Amino acid sequence: MSETPKIVLFQCKWCLFSPADQDWVDHQLPENIHLVKMPCTGRINPLYLLNAVQGGADGVMVSGCLPEQCHFKTGNIAARRQLEEFSDYLNHIGYEKERIRFLWLDLQDRGIIQKELAAFEAQLTALGPAQNLATRVTETVGGANA
Amino acid sequence: MPDIEALKAEAKRILSEGMVDMVIGFKAGDTPLHPQPAFFKTADEVDHLVYNALCQNNLATYLTRFPKTQKIGMLVRGCENRSVNALVFEGQHPREGLYLIGIPCEGIIDWRKIVAQTGEELYSVTEQSDNTILVESKSGFFTLEKNTLLHESCARCIHPNPVSADIVIGELLPEGDPALAREKVAAFTDLPIEERYAWFRQESERCIRCYACREACPMCYCEECFVDHISPRWTESGTTPAGMQGWHIVRAFHQTGRCTSCGACERACPMDIKMTYLTEKLNDDMRRKYNFEVGMDTTTPPPFSTVTLDDKSRFVV
Repeated sequence: MSETPKIVLFQCKWCLFSPADQDWVDHQLPENIHLVKMPCTGRINPLYLLNAVQGGADGVMVSGCLPEQCHFKTGNIAARRQLEEFSDYLNHIGYEKERIRFLWLDLQDRGIIQKELAAFEAQLTALGPAQNLATRVTETVGGANA
Repeated sequence: MPDIEALKAEAKRILSEGMVDMVIGFKAGDTPLHPQPAFFKTADEVDHLVYNALCQNNLATYLTRFPKTQKIGMLVRGCENRSVNALVFEGQHPREGLYLIGIPCEGIIDWRKIVAQTGEELYSVTEQSDNTILVESKSGFFTLEKNTLLHESCARCIHPNPVSADIVIGELLPEGDPALAREKVAAFTDLPIEERYAWFRQESERCIRCYACREACPMCYCEECFVDHISPRWTESGTTPAGMQGWHIVRAFHQTGRCTSCGACERACPMDIKMTYLTEKLNDDMRRKYNFEVGMDTTTPPPFSTVTLDDKSRFVV
């Protein structure tokens, strides 16, 4: 088990309006954070979250636009209904709810994502490594990456 | 129990009058415990129609396996009727092409509970009028209380009566209590997280990936299931822990706002894996959060296929 928690960040490519923030996410993310860039949070299938969780992510963060600021009008709300229910549901079968965090960014926000990621990482460090549901076997036996 | 002769008469009538091309019902199976789904195309065949509390399939499953142009008559209980409504909403069959013969359902018997008491070699199972069941087996006669044999989903059934059948045969029954279903979910949610995960592992990891639950479910009609998809492979398709858990998680999640709690998945499972603790939780959430009950009509969209901006007050902290 690594000491720093492994985080998967699903990021809507429209939610970071500031070029500096977007540049930081694209090029300067710490090594323990894996970036999955999406065209909209509405494109996130709950299966993607499950893949991250089963693959051993200690935490999953979904960052998207505020409800009325979606580039595609309602993609983020449609997504939110499903993803919120999915995180509830994973909690029902034994994956701590605190490990899935949603972040809604205003277009005016600057420097929020760095702070939020740091706070999330601190929370995950306190929780310890995720053990439940992290059942994916390595690539040699098969699995999603085979 | 509905009058079986009345059921036959109605099925014969709609077939002989040409109202439908086919009636989906049940006929006697290989053992008295398993009446099997049957497809009657002429009035004469309807003589073989059987209906009793051991008819455990959800007949709405077969709706999606016939062309939309075919006129189908179907015996429906409460859960089947709601499944049909949900399928009609999803455009799987026009409502005009259906003739639903409604049966108020007193609950389906879990055959495993009979076998547990009598052994597997049965000669006959007869329902008696005083709510008991007479079982003739190799080791003698047994009289069993019907209420103790009901399948768990049926014991906490909320809508036993068909909601939109064209004709209802039999006396309407009192509606069930939603609190029963909620109690069950709440009891599981109150367990510590490690126990919940242990239970989930214990159940899901017995899976042999036969997909009987998928075939039994009326709402599982995708041309290609996510587990069969090769490229990209969404989840492991073997009996690995990740594969078995992934299948159980996502199969149930795909039924969110579509599951009518008929319990056909559980009854179909050869490994006797419990699954309704997953779908009940999702159904309960749909009731609490969106005030949505599956299949009560053919026009209300399920929560996941619609959006409103009202959600924003709930989501943004």
